[in-house]
Amino acid sequence: MSNEKTQNEQIILDKLFESFSNIEGSVRRERRIELKVSKDHVLSVLLYAKEQLSFFHLSHISCVDWLEDNQFELIYILWSHETQMQLFVKILIDREKPVAPNIDYIWRHANTYEREIREMYGIEFKGLVGEQEFILEDWEGMPPMRRDFDTKEYAEETFFDRPGREDAKDVREEIIERSREELPDFAKKYSRD
Amino acid sequence: MVNDRDSQKIVDYMKNFARKHSLFVMAYGTGCGAIEIPPTMTSRYDAERFGIRGAATPRQADVLLITGYLATKTLKRVIRVYEQMQGPKYVIGFGSCTINGGMYWDSYNTINLLDKYIPVDVYINGCMPRPEAVISGFIKLQQLIQDGKADGWKHYQDNLDDYRENQKKVIKNWNMPDFSW
Ligand code: SF4
Repeated sequence: MSNEKTQNEQIILDKLFESFSNIEGSVRRERRIELKVSKDHVLSVLLYAKEQLSFFHLSHISCVDWLEDNQFELIYILWSHETQMQLFVKILIDREKPVAPNIDYIWRHANTYEREIREMYGIEFKGLVGEQEFILEDWEGMPPMRRDFDTKEYAEETFFDRPGREDAKDVREEIIERSREELPDFAKKYSRD
Repeated sequence: MVNDRDSQKIVDYMKNFARKHSLFVMAYGTGCGAIEIPPTMTSRYDAERFGIRGAATPRQADVLLITGYLATKTLKRVIRVYEQMQGPKYVIGFGSCTINGGMYWDSYNTINLLDKYIPVDVYINGCMPRPEAVISGFIKLQQLIQDGKADGWKHYQDNLDDYRENQKKVIKNWNMPDFSW
């Protein structure tokens, strides 16, 4: 990319490419770089980014459930105060045996994010210390943020509905007709009939 | 004198009159609704002219406000607080979240119908009810108290088993005393 606006981003990306041979990456837009790393190399990439490229700040660890591909994606979002840039480091892990490296000795507050991800997605972090229970209390069964966990079904089973709402009307058909749109597939299971 | 029917009426009237004009509200907020309490209490809407004011502990409080969605985790604490309050005690449910789950109707972690877990005397609808609505809810409660109809707490004591069954359905680890009053 020879865009003048993203010159600095390109320089940093090139530095990363020089140091690591097996990573993919691109400049998404101004001040945002994206890297795809294998699970085994993520620790060295993160350490390099922190120590050499001034990405001192870990903003967040985010998780995506790619149910169809049978994978989880972890996204480490780093921020550099010096260059005012964001670095996304993405790794894919197997959904059947979800194990990821623990990084809370690099950034201590990563501990909190990892515990949350462990609870909500059921991903194990190797060597993570901390109570198993984080936000939920006495939770049994599938971690609730996984996409194959059906919250609606669970809520219907567990909680009570207000009586007198059985005849509530599904107005979405009318809205769709009026605005000439289509009901997306994922929304169809919420139809009342 | 108390055996006389009419004089009992007078005594009840006096009792209810006193109760309805000194509603001490438990300072316990859940959900978004707790943010509506400060404007209700402070000078603009000044709820204290109706005898509504805060109480620091459950033992001193008459009214428990459930101000919005209730996570199952919070429900456990709410039950504990409710049972420690001394009768007569009243519950007001704020907002659509306490009535039918509101925008959290399909959430895995918030209850939908509050009345199944603790007896609600007055619901205030809206998402979120404004202070005017809150005060009108309180006035409704005062009317119920005056008419002697706000007896959810008696209903709770009589049907404790039913309530417990519902409560234990969502609170899996019941590590509290079975009676806390
Ligand atoms: S009714 Fe609306 S404002 Fe009140 S707790 Fe629920 S979502 Fe929040």
